Amino acid sequence: MRVDEEALDQETSIAEVREAVKRFAAPEGGVVTALNGVSLKVREREFVTLLGPSGCGKTTLLRAISGFEELDAGEVRIAGEPMGGVPPHLRPVNTVFQNYALFPHLSVGDNVGYGLDVAGVARTERNTRVGETLERLDLGGYERRRPDQLSGGQRQRVALARAIINQPKLLLLDEPLSALDRNLRKAMQLELKALQHDLGICFVFVTHDQEEALTMSDRVAVLNGGRIEHVAAPETHYYRPATRFVAEFIGDGALFPGRIEGSAEEPMLVTADGLRFAVAPGMAVGEAATLLLRPEQLGAPPESPDGSLGVVEARLEQSVFLGASHQFVCRMANGAIITAAPTGGGAEKLSGVAYGETVRLAYRRDQTHLIPEAGDGT
Amino acid sequence: MARRGDTRRLAFLLAPASVFLGTCFIGPLAVMMLYSFLEPGLYGGVEWNFYHWNYGRILGWADGEWEEFDAVYVQIFLRSARLALTNVAITLIICYPAALWVSGLPARWRTLVVFLITLPFFVSLVVRLFAWVLILRPSGFLNSSLLGLGLISEPIDIIFTETAVLIGMAYILLPFMFLPIYASVEKLDRSLLEASADLGASPLQTFFRVTLRLTLPGIAAGAVLVFIPSLGNFIVPDILGGAKVLMIGNLVEQQFLSARNWPFGAALSVMIMIVMFAAIVLYLRAIGRQEEVSP
Amino acid sequence: MKRSWVRRLLGLHGMLFLIFVYAPIVMVVVLSFNANPINMMIWSGFTVDWYWSILGYPTQLNEQTLYVESTDQLLAAVKNSLIVAVSTTTISTVLGTMTALALYRYRFRAQRFYQGLLYMPMVMPDIVLGIALLVFFVGVGVSLGVISIIIGHCTFLISYVFVVVSARLAGMDDTLEQASADLGANEWVTFRRITLPLILPGVIGGALLAFIISMDDLVITYFIAGVDSTTLPVFIYGMLRRGVKPEINAIATLMLTLSFIIATLGLYLRRRS
Repeated sequence: MRVDEEALDQETSIAEVREAVKRFAAPEGGVVTALNGVSLKVREREFVTLLGPSGCGKTTLLRAISGFEELDAGEVRIAGEPMGGVPPHLRPVNTVFQNYALFPHLSVGDNVGYGLDVAGVARTERNTRVGETLERLDLGGYERRRPDQLSGGQRQRVALARAIINQPKLLLLDEPLSALDRNLRKAMQLELKALQHDLGICFVFVTHDQEEALTMSDRVAVLNGGRIEHVAAPETHYYRPATRFVAEFIGDGALFPGRIEGSAEEPMLVTADGLRFAVAPGMAVGEAATLLLRPEQLGAPPESPDGSLGVVEARLEQSVFLGASHQFVCRMANGAIITAAPTGGGAEKLSGVAYGETVRLAYRRDQTHLIPEAGDGT
Repeated sequence: MARRGDTRRLAFLLAPASVFLGTCFIGPLAVMMLYSFLEPGLYGGVEWNFYHWNYGRILGWADGEWEEFDAVYVQIFLRSARLALTNVAITLIICYPAALWVSGLPARWRTLVVFLITLPFFVSLVVRLFAWVLILRPSGFLNSSLLGLGLISEPIDIIFTETAVLIGMAYILLPFMFLPIYASVEKLDRSLLEASADLGASPLQTFFRVTLRLTLPGIAAGAVLVFIPSLGNFIVPDILGGAKVLMIGNLVEQQFLSARNWPFGAALSVMIMIVMFAAIVLYLRAIGRQEEVSP
Repeated sequence: MKRSWVRRLLGLHGMLFLIFVYAPIVMVVVLSFNANPINMMIWSGFTVDWYWSILGYPTQLNEQTLYVESTDQLLAAVKNSLIVAVSTTTISTVLGTMTALALYRYRFRAQRFYQGLLYMPMVMPDIVLGIALLVFFVGVGVSLGVISIIIGHCTFLISYVFVVVSARLAGMDDTLEQASADLGANEWVTFRRITLPLILPGVIGGALLAFIISMDDLVITYFIAGVDSTTLPVFIYGMLRRGVKPEINAIATLMLTLSFIIATLGLYLRRRS
């Protein structure tokens, strides 16, 4: 488990989870460990995403922060205050639920004003604030409508309005966009990002969609099997993934586990079945590592490649035209699939190649990224 | 959507039950209503003239003598209504928390517990009321235990009081309140409760603002299903109330089997039916309004 | 997050609820084995004599009672109850199922009316239905006996079967019938080979329900039974009016055992589907 902790002061962290452990009884018997020692610090005003496949613990972590799950070990602090034993209705956090959870028996206005009503805010002030919040989310005038009269996107915004009107210290969003269709989803991603920026509230967002995570976040925490793999900015995860899991989960690419051989200045990564890749210096000879090659790093080599390029041979299997890119799916000698998606004019050279023919693919040696583990997390 | 052969098929399927219910259900009710307007004969039986004084008697005026107003029947009606409403309240208080408890049990237990709750109600009325006689009578279980424990020095008089009748009616009608409420509680979307807590409502506030409001349809259904049989009940007041607690049901039974005044008995029955229809209409109206509120 | 004291309180309420529901029944069963012929509440030892007694065998205990209920009458009542229950179950299951199929399959204008009509007997207070039937039978000239009881029971049992079978139909995947038709089966074959097997648990459930309700019915039967044709519940009611006797415990225990068995059977069948 690796945590990116540089320069996070206690003062600016709005929420903190320390060594959280949560176990559930599995329906068939036995115990499932949803959180296995998770630690995370979240700063004010930042947009953090919890990303991972289903079952990785991201929703459990979110619910531990909001108070709907009590931890078996570890603690949650919000604005420095420990939250052990504090029930959800007393925590300064609000949640946007995956199914929106709009009260069917209340109007939109009453839904949005619910938190204020419960807190005892007077009706006139409540109405004003409800009106403002609805306006802000483009739902001006919708006070009297009922949830079942709204579209999916509108309901989503009512859920948002209902949460932010209470000015929580932290807003938790549990896969709020997963029920929307693709175009609406993309539009909402941008809207949410803008909203978060305007409001200045810290958002903790849960999703399994890595594109979504990369689009919206300041930092992304990648979770797997109840542990945090790595917390970092989206670019870091994409260009310099810290673990094999992150490299596989985020973006496309080919991974080659092996050992460093050769010299310190011009190292080679050699796989168990003998493939050799020129890589950038930085790791000691003899160490185990995994090489990541993303499609956009690979293209057709120039006539006489120099030492700054690494070159590999593969057999072209398929060429896929995706509009914005042209992908060439190739198979290497050991059977591994490697995909090239060259930018610029590189695509033309490769598009003339027939299926089954051998091609040579080149990449810039100094742009290779090595993950310091090989195989299964050694 | 129906094709020509369909109408014949439909008629075939529907006819037997329709004919049967038409003659043996609607028919009897119609005849009963007819009787309620007939004059009772001197020695039982009826005279075939239009006689609206059966209803008059119920309302308080006997046989055309305007001066003598006797509200006895109105009082009996009111007492029956009062006991029926009290019964609704009692069963509601007993069943609502029970329904909440069952819905919070792990899934495997729930069906079993619901089955266990409804099982005793497949046992005949007589047997269950008999058990309560054994419990409530002066030499019965309750008094024996209390005397034995030294908590009282003389047997308490419970049987043949309204309390006994209420206990009996509540016991008999429990599942009619429990099942609709339970169905309603089951359907409750748990994430709504979480949302309410998330927005700052304490558990008590969440209960009143969300849970109770959304389970009202179940409560309304239960109330109607308990009120109507309670109103027209005669077995419970008979066995547990003796002659001392007279409800409409007892009155009707007397008119038919002892007093042999069938028209009057029929008129009383028609009044019960009117109250029943009123309750159902009120219920449907209330549900209709709820439909606009919740999906 | 558990508001544990609330859960515990609810749990306590639940336990008390179950105790309230079962205590009277348990008491009756226990007392049916109590060898004390005078004061039921004092335990004098275990005996099955009351059971022998109701079957007509003289026992040590009932020599001390003032009079013995006639076993012949009891057995006649049981016989009548069974005849009525079997007949009325058969009739009402067939009619109820047919009506459920009709209302499920076809949309027609009078549909709402029919549903209302079918729900009415279940909601109506027993006494109203009982005396309406009495008045009707007497007026039309049907003599009060087993036949009148059967007719009377059918009036409301059709509704119960209808409700149970309708629920089963509503939960059925109707594309199955369409698939059957698509594969060439006509209506009758589709019904016999697809629909009926699928709704059979519901039909049987409805039949069992009707059987139990018929066996247990007191109020309506009370009014429309003739002098010679009592059913078991009415017979016990009569016994009760004449005073509490230990034998009643034994009869009651037997009755409730039968009811429990049938109800459990019904649940088992529904579980299997």
